[in-house]
Amino acid sequence: MSSHAASHDHAAHAHEDHEHKPGFFARWVFTTNHKDIGTLYLIFAIFAGLIGGAFSGLIRWELAEPGLQVFMKGSMLDQMGLFNLSNPDHAKHAYNSVVTAHAVIMIFFMVMPATMGGFANWFVPIMIGAPDMAFPRLNNISFWMLVAAFVLLCISIFTPSGPGGEHGFAGGWTMYPPMSSHTGSPGPAMDLVILSFHLAGASSILGSINFITTIFNMRAPGMTLHRMPLFAWSVLVTAFLLLLSLPVLAGAITMLLTDRNFGTAFFDPTGGGDPVMFQHLFWFFGHPEVYILILPGFGIISHIVSTFSKKPVFGYLAMAYAMVAIGFVGFIVWAHHMYTVGLSFDLRAYFVLATMVIAVPTGVKVFSWIATMWGGSISFTVPMQWAIGFIFLFTVGGVTGVVLSNAAVDYSLQDTYYVVAHFHYVLSLGAVFSIFAGFYYWFEKMFGVKYNKWLGGAHFWIMFIGVNLIFFPQHFLGLQGMPRRYIDYPVGFSYWNMISSVGYAITAVGVVVFLIMCLEAAIVRRKGEANPWGEGATTLEWTLSSPPPYHQFSELPVIKEDDQH
Amino acid sequence: MGIKGLFGRGLFKAGSGAIATLALSAAMTAQAFADDVKQTLGQPTDKAMGWQLAGSDLKEKTEWFYNDLLFPIITIICLVVLALLVWVVIRYNKKSNPVPAKFSHNTLIEILWTVVPVLILVVIAIFSLGLLRDYNNMPKPDVVVKATGNQWFWTYDFPELGVTDVESRLREDAKDMKTAQKAGVPYLLEVDNPLVVPVNKVIHVQTTGADVIHSFTIPAFGFKIDAIPGRLNNTWFKAKKIGTYYGQCSELCGKDHAYMPIEIKVVSDADFDAYIIAQGGKTRAMLASEAVASAAAASAAAQSAEAPASAAASSSAAATSASATPAGNGAAAAH
Amino acid sequence: MAHPGVKHDYHIINPSPWPLMGSASAVVWALGMVAGMRGIFGIEKGQWWLMLLGLTLICLTMVFWWRDVIKESKAGDHTPVVQLGLRYGMIMFIASEVMFFVAWFWVFFEMALFHGHRAGDHSAIEEVRTAWSTWPPAGVETLDPWHLPLVNTLLLLTSGTTVTWAHHALQKNDRKGAIWGLLLTVILGAVFTMVQFTEYREIAHEHLFHFFLFPDAEGATGAANLYGSAFFMATGFHGFHVLIGTIFLIVCLIRAINGDFTPKKHFGFEAAAWYWHFVDVVWLFLFAFIYVIFGGHH
Ligand code: HEA
Ligand code: HEA
Ligand code: CUA
Ligand SMILES: [Cu+2]
Repeated sequence: MSSHAASHDHAAHAHEDHEHKPGFFARWVFTTNHKDIGTLYLIFAIFAGLIGGAFSGLIRWELAEPGLQVFMKGSMLDQMGLFNLSNPDHAKHAYNSVVTAHAVIMIFFMVMPATMGGFANWFVPIMIGAPDMAFPRLNNISFWMLVAAFVLLCISIFTPSGPGGEHGFAGGWTMYPPMSSHTGSPGPAMDLVILSFHLAGASSILGSINFITTIFNMRAPGMTLHRMPLFAWSVLVTAFLLLLSLPVLAGAITMLLTDRNFGTAFFDPTGGGDPVMFQHLFWFFGHPEVYILILPGFGIISHIVSTFSKKPVFGYLAMAYAMVAIGFVGFIVWAHHMYTVGLSFDLRAYFVLATMVIAVPTGVKVFSWIATMWGGSISFTVPMQWAIGFIFLFTVGGVTGVVLSNAAVDYSLQDTYYVVAHFHYVLSLGAVFSIFAGFYYWFEKMFGVKYNKWLGGAHFWIMFIGVNLIFFPQHFLGLQGMPRRYIDYPVGFSYWNMISSVGYAITAVGVVVFLIMCLEAAIVRRKGEANPWGEGATTLEWTLSSPPPYHQFSELPVIKEDDQH
Repeated sequence: MGIKGLFGRGLFKAGSGAIATLALSAAMTAQAFADDVKQTLGQPTDKAMGWQLAGSDLKEKTEWFYNDLLFPIITIICLVVLALLVWVVIRYNKKSNPVPAKFSHNTLIEILWTVVPVLILVVIAIFSLGLLRDYNNMPKPDVVVKATGNQWFWTYDFPELGVTDVESRLREDAKDMKTAQKAGVPYLLEVDNPLVVPVNKVIHVQTTGADVIHSFTIPAFGFKIDAIPGRLNNTWFKAKKIGTYYGQCSELCGKDHAYMPIEIKVVSDADFDAYIIAQGGKTRAMLASEAVASAAAASAAAQSAEAPASAAASSSAAATSASATPAGNGAAAAH
Repeated sequence: MAHPGVKHDYHIINPSPWPLMGSASAVVWALGMVAGMRGIFGIEKGQWWLMLLGLTLICLTMVFWWRDVIKESKAGDHTPVVQLGLRYGMIMFIASEVMFFVAWFWVFFEMALFHGHRAGDHSAIEEVRTAWSTWPPAGVETLDPWHLPLVNTLLLLTSGTTVTWAHHALQKNDRKGAIWGLLLTVILGAVFTMVQFTEYREIAHEHLFHFFLFPDAEGATGAANLYGSAFFMATGFHGFHVLIGTIFLIVCLIRAINGDFTPKKHFGFEAAAWYWHFVDVVWLFLFAFIYVIFGGHH
């Protein structure tokens, strides 16, 4: 990366005097250790990912063919008794509530906990040469607050929502009123969702305060911002996005809460309010949110690409400032989600132009990754395979975003499966690929054991084929006009839906291989090395043992100027 | 390290995996093509991979913009990225290039990959804004319809023609695949009372929502406009051909969101007038002659010096409704 | 520095039960909110005991947590670099609070400047112009900014100076002065809250505009309702922040009386002062925009 540790073997040093680990309960529940908290987040993310993935399985199963097959009385799902499918109204509602829960779980309880919670907690302090986070106790409440939010969300899934007592909020993750206000969701489920978002938001705000402070205040001597590894940069930018966008969401959902329960009229047209107002506030948060989901991935990919090409990152400064630019512009493009609500021409034209601008810094990133590999000596390890897969698939998702940014085309594509295809390419094939890439990259470092490369490779290829098969055909469906959030569809959409569902089955096998990989590594316990990746791995985590000592850097490393850029 | 020698396998895996994916998608595509997808105007066609057939000039322009500009550009970008990746993988793997270079800068190339995307985007933007303007500049309407989204059906009004509250719901026999097939209607698309509009005429659509937000769209005409409670939105279309066109509610509106299709029957002028009369309304021709008559009456009354206030009021009301400026919001229409 | 062999000044904190307790309390509070608002788990709508239980637990958590912080500070864990970290943390926290108020102002401006947008047929400039001329909406009688609101503005501005006085006193090791400054600030804050309360009562009494707590307002048309919503939620959240700030200052006052702060090291106080200034500035915006500029005729 951008800098070398000038120092000696911290691992050996730290082992002597700093291994007083607390007892099991205090260590894992009351923990103030950034690495343990990171691990908790990762376990949580995997758990949530499995639930979110299972929910998407229900979606794909239902959509495999036209007609109702899963969300109906007497189906296998009904027999499992999880959801109330006793009559068609409940069943149709249940589908929408599963879609909503799928999205919320994947975004707030899988991707964010994995990247910001897991990897950032683990590696930001280490990469900048700090012994821990700035506020270790706050770090712990960020984690448990997320669990609290998840508990509320889970309760909401089984709480009355619809006018007929149907369970679970079913208005989509975007929560537009009046679907989410008293009119659309009179039951308490939506109130639980709102409060769940409040807690998840508080968790993330506290977390981002922690990261910003850690990065500004705890860099090791000589670690200037311009020598700081790109992953830390990505987390810094992401933390700012969270810090500045989440409170606006908090305001919006607070208004929703008081509209629902205390008779205010912010979004209620009969009281003079405006439902579109909520959409502005939501997307002012929501669009930065999508970069929150991807930026840490950008950071991870930069490290992996550089490590396995045995070359420093190409255009380090441009890479860092591209992320800053993406973060900044990300705040002023929100209404590209609202081209069909009746904005004025000037506004739509502005949002078209502003949105397209983001393709430029993102392009800088994509091309710089390739340039990093160019001239390198590449080894195709498992994380590198995920990283290369990421670069290509993210590009595919990115360019369809540029298509959607054209308001005139978006009239035909908004709320169709083209959008679903777009955002799964950047999320399920972008963010998730970067998470798996990071997971394999740091697996040995975090857990101190090696994974089975064959299983890792199999996991990659099965998932790669599976997710492409799920989501590529959805572009065709979107162009043909298939609307999203539909439990059933005209026969004209049958073929590609079936292919998409077959793709899910393959993906599910991939996820199982992932679990087997984890299990195998846990059972066989091949001892990990401090630096399995060799000369290309230059960031500080590779100077520590695997796993690192309970408290690293009791003596701070000193970073020396290096000639890499 | 264990990486040594892996690249061979890695490359092999990369190759076989890529080939498998390619083969699969090729097979899929081939099958779709082999069946020679012939699309039906106005509704989705199975196995089709592109747009529905266009039913209006505007949608044709949109398709042109996508098919002939955006799609080639994004495909080329993806292929260039892919080609670069493949090249890097082949040329700069550990075996072909054991000693890595150490460079990390090249100002020229960095400028290039900033400027070239900017230029591409400028080209896209020019066409994009032009098309947006085409959507936005609504020609004078021949017919104004108001579509109100309800949970879970549409109601149509022709405010100027005196037709109100035509309720349009998914037809019973279209709710089941078998009965739909038997009745020869498209599953989940056929409604009981379609919206009827004349061919080759500018139709203004005003939308609003009665309860929650819905969205009114016909893919073949390339428009989509949300039906939002408390707002009146505006858009327009001009159908080129007589026929039946389907769309589906496109904003999540509750449990039957998937069951409130939109059907527009595009008919000849004569059929349209007949429809309006059958609905208890007045045709445009009738309204025009009435307007003339009442204007005459009004001026007669004015000549008799004491024009009754009510007559004046009613004539001005008729005049405004005939001029047919939608009372609606700025939104899509106004600016 | 807690351990031998540790050669840095950062604060490595021991495991703590408070985060878990805080999160568990948050769940209790949230479920209590839903129970009170809607009825859930057999608790009837309108029963708020579960919420109050959660709230109490949350407050207790804060007490325990911050007591630990104060202990650690006294134990010398708050080295200069740790104090700098606390500063960053507080600034970031206030930044997020600013964005929270952005949401409320956004809603207010949107309705004040663009409420015609949904019904009219104008260009943006015309829209704003017509909106302006029909603002505040019919049925709304706004408050005279030069009465109680002005009093409140002066109160808060004065409290800004008294808190600065306290700060200077602390820096000069003038404990008495610091205590006086703090005490005056707390009193001014409390008076502000009382004035605000009086103003709300007046609005309710005179039925000036609609709000859920006073639903019988006459002419409570749609727009009046929206005006009431925006007015009360914005000023109400500000009032809530004044309350928090006052409590924060009271804690500092007690600590000052106990002799906790030194001229060199009194970040707890500074954080409270920053927070107080933030609350002050938000009020100036509220006063300028909601009361004066968009106050219309009263
Ligand atoms: C990780 C998440 C993520 C990311 C990174 C993005 C990235 C982008 N998104 Fe996406 N988006 C979502 C997640 C994301 N999006 C989600 C979840 C939704 C739906 C929400 C909902 O409704 O539920 C959505 C919806 C969405 C819409 C609204 C669609 C609709 O509802 O009608 C639009 C419209 O403009 C859009 C645009 C873009 C653009 C322009 C980018 C750009 O940032 C992409 C930039 C990247 C590239 C362009 C590729 C690399 C660049 C090059 C190789 C350089 C050369 C390229 C060119 C010259 C073009 N997105
Ligand atoms: C990060 C976000 C994310 C992810 C990963 C996914 C993953 C998937 N999604 Fe989802 N989806 C959304 C976000 C996401 N989705 C959103 C925002 C919506 C819109 C909702 C709305 O309309 O409101 C949506 C909607 C949506 C729809 C549209 C439903 C409708 O409109 O009716 C469909 C349909 O096919 C679908 C399918 C899938 C499938 C098959 C996957 C598969 O890829 C799933 C396979 C499983 C995984 C890839 C997870 C594996 C991960 C782990 C096990 C964790 C690993 C963690 C570590 C290593 C730390 N999704
Ligand atoms: Cu009506 Cu969706
Ligand atoms: Cu966006």
